[in-house]
Amino acid sequence: MSEYVIEMKDIVKSFGNVHAVRNGQFTLKKGEIHSLIGENGAGKSTMMKLLYGMYPIDDGSIRIHGDHIPSISPKIAIEKGIGMVHQEFMLVNELTVLENIILGFEPRHGITIDFDKARKTVEQYINQYGMDIQLGKKINQISVGEAQRVEIIKTLTRGANVIILDEPTAVLTPQETKQLFVILQNLRKDGKSLVFISHKLNEVMEISDRISVMRQGNYIGSVSKEETSPAELAKMMIGREVFLNIEKTQTKPGEKVLEVKDVWVSGEKEISKIRGVSLDVRAGEIVGIAGIDGNGQSELIEAIAGLRQVEKGSVLLDGKELGGLSPKQIRKAGLSHIPEDRNTRGLNRSMSIKENLIAVQVGEAPFCKGVVRDDKETLEYAKQLSEVFDIRPRDPEISTQSLSGGNAQKVVVAREVSIGGKLLVASQPTRGVDIGAIESIRKILQEVKAKGMGVLLVSADLEEILSLSDRIVVMHEGRITGRLKAEDANEDNLGLLMMGGTASAEERGSTT
Amino acid sequence: MNVAVKSIQKILLTMLLALAIGALFILFIGENPLEAYGALLRGAFNGKLKIGTTLASFTPLLLTSCAFAVAAKAGAFNVGVEGEVFLGGITAAYIGINWTFLPAPVLMIVCFLGAMTVAALWALIPAVLKAYYRVSEVCVTILMNSVALYITSYLVSGPMSAGVANAQSLPVTVNLPQFMKPSSVNAGLFIALITVVFMIWVLNKTTFGYKVKTVGTNPSHAEYVGISPKKIFIQSMMLSGALGGMAGCIEVLGVHGYFLNNFAAGLGSNGMLASLIVKNNLIFAPFMSFFLAVLKSGAMGMQQSTGVPKSIVDTITAVFIIVATMELLFQFKDKKNKKEKSK
Repeated sequence: MSEYVIEMKDIVKSFGNVHAVRNGQFTLKKGEIHSLIGENGAGKSTMMKLLYGMYPIDDGSIRIHGDHIPSISPKIAIEKGIGMVHQEFMLVNELTVLENIILGFEPRHGITIDFDKARKTVEQYINQYGMDIQLGKKINQISVGEAQRVEIIKTLTRGANVIILDEPTAVLTPQETKQLFVILQNLRKDGKSLVFISHKLNEVMEISDRISVMRQGNYIGSVSKEETSPAELAKMMIGREVFLNIEKTQTKPGEKVLEVKDVWVSGEKEISKIRGVSLDVRAGEIVGIAGIDGNGQSELIEAIAGLRQVEKGSVLLDGKELGGLSPKQIRKAGLSHIPEDRNTRGLNRSMSIKENLIAVQVGEAPFCKGVVRDDKETLEYAKQLSEVFDIRPRDPEISTQSLSGGNAQKVVVAREVSIGGKLLVASQPTRGVDIGAIESIRKILQEVKAKGMGVLLVSADLEEILSLSDRIVVMHEGRITGRLKAEDANEDNLGLLMMGGTASAEERGSTT
Repeated sequence: MNVAVKSIQKILLTMLLALAIGALFILFIGENPLEAYGALLRGAFNGKLKIGTTLASFTPLLLTSCAFAVAAKAGAFNVGVEGEVFLGGITAAYIGINWTFLPAPVLMIVCFLGAMTVAALWALIPAVLKAYYRVSEVCVTILMNSVALYITSYLVSGPMSAGVANAQSLPVTVNLPQFMKPSSVNAGLFIALITVVFMIWVLNKTTFGYKVKTVGTNPSHAEYVGISPKKIFIQSMMLSGALGGMAGCIEVLGVHGYFLNNFAAGLGSNGMLASLIVKNNLIFAPFMSFFLAVLKSGAMGMQQSTGVPKSIVDTITAVFIIVATMELLFQFKDKKNKKEKSK
């Protein structure tokens, strides 16, 4: 029997013209937690999806327990004891937790499902690994962290001894992450082998035994945790030194550029997703909104931008009431907006870089003459922005379809920052972009602030909120649960507030 | 440019495959496919009359395919072009018959404007229903086609009837000049060609065209950058309607000289097919319209000189659509090329 549970050798995989994996290598020992790290688009998720048989490999070989598997499918993978917890949970909202866990593998009792037996098996796993799961609840009633635990149990009940976790902490609070890590360690103790995909270096350092790094589809190297440091890992990931913790520029906040007064907004499914939120942003400061995804941040931002109806309350931009104004009029009043989703809102992926760069100024001088677009002027402007914001490739005529996450986001940032409004709303500005782009986007936000724009920053990344904001507002279930000065905030008290807890008295005393 | 070459290649391959499958059907009924296709081509191109007839049936398809494509660019599936052709036609007939107080050239222009306005307003109804109430424009336009047909049928059998055995209106007092007589091809062909070129320019070069394409490809992005998807959707539906109305006007003033009941049957749907086959590409749509026009006008000749029924042409058209919508059919070629390249 081989030393490795999993051996992936010389893996090649491309999608159309995109070479997702050029030279993939990966090995997994029994009973270890092996992290696979790399920037977005480095090919780490693809590697694991190949292992799970979701796509066929173009070249290379996969061995499971030493057996060469020529063509793998999810069915074979499950039979061989591989389980995968995807980034997007694959759960049926309307079914209960128990039903979801046994779905497709129901123990039967004649023609009916033997729920008693199912419950017994599942409860055994819950107790064994100390998981907190209520089997009777429906998926839409449980938290993201709990849903993730359900996914883990699901793989266990299918007999998995190798579990792949694709960026499991991206959706969790710091507290939930700690809980998850306890579970992962229990699993390891029990001899399970785990693959942990992430790009958060501190987490990787905390949980892993070994770490493999990928960059642009290539395997860079594997190190054991004891022999490495976050700085070295970062260097391996992007091929050079990076500095994410930028020195905060100190500016004197000026006039209020944004005032949100007791605003109520409805969400997609529920009325009054936002309930009575008030906050303000001054010129020359960054106000961060911390919170777990889905607690109303998106709705609040869309309401400010005029993309969603405000039920009641008022929003003032530079003293001007925004109620009843169209998105265009709100932009004219001085709003720049980096939306949370660059693929649907931020960019028109079917158009070129230059067309995307002038999207908010179409039909305005100097980008048109009468009703005709001025292509030359547009190209000139786009070339300039590509240079300033380092958008690669440096050809504004190519389609944004082929851009990487980081460069696509730079197009959005370049456009919004260059129109120079009074307020910049930046929603998840660095989500899903590579470290190099994170570094430059954070710098840009600092520069914008130094120029005297007010910045409202929404981010699920606490580190980002902490390193950029002057003031921090925490949202939980559509309400503001805390207001802190940056110097009083840390991951622990923010995490607590994000879960709906209350700040301790002294922290509340220092609210703004 | 490479992309354009590839898509032309793909369309030609699709065309050949459709014809080949058509040939199989012809073989089945015991005829010689080569002979049948030869007869079809002779039926479409042999002699002035036949060429003229082909061009005459090409003219409305040019406009209706363009009309469908323009709406599609904004994300609308406008099945209602046919109804718009009918209403444009009846309006042109009404103005052409009754507003004789206008001098002829002005009357001609007013006929066009009237036809286009009425058809655009007709298209406004489904557009508003879709934009503001999310009613499927597909359903509404399909239903409205029947309504448009019945309105015009009623008018030419009743108030506007010429009083002859056929349901038709009185002759209009202005006509688009015909050439290549005795076929009915007329100056409308050039009007249609210029219009299509103009629409290509509008969509590719103007601010409005940019907005239409933005709304059609990503409405939530459009909304976010400050372009109103509702407004643009409605405007391009109306533009589509106006183009349909123009086709109706040309048919009445150029081909028939009066409003003939049910004259536009198939014009809208064939235009839609031409546009769909080329994925609503405005530059390719005219070529596809021409191909369909050739099939249609050659079919009769084929039926007369061989034993192949002309409905085989509908089979070929149908196969064409099925093949054209099979996106993946010709991908094997791409893959092969790629492998060779990477070696």
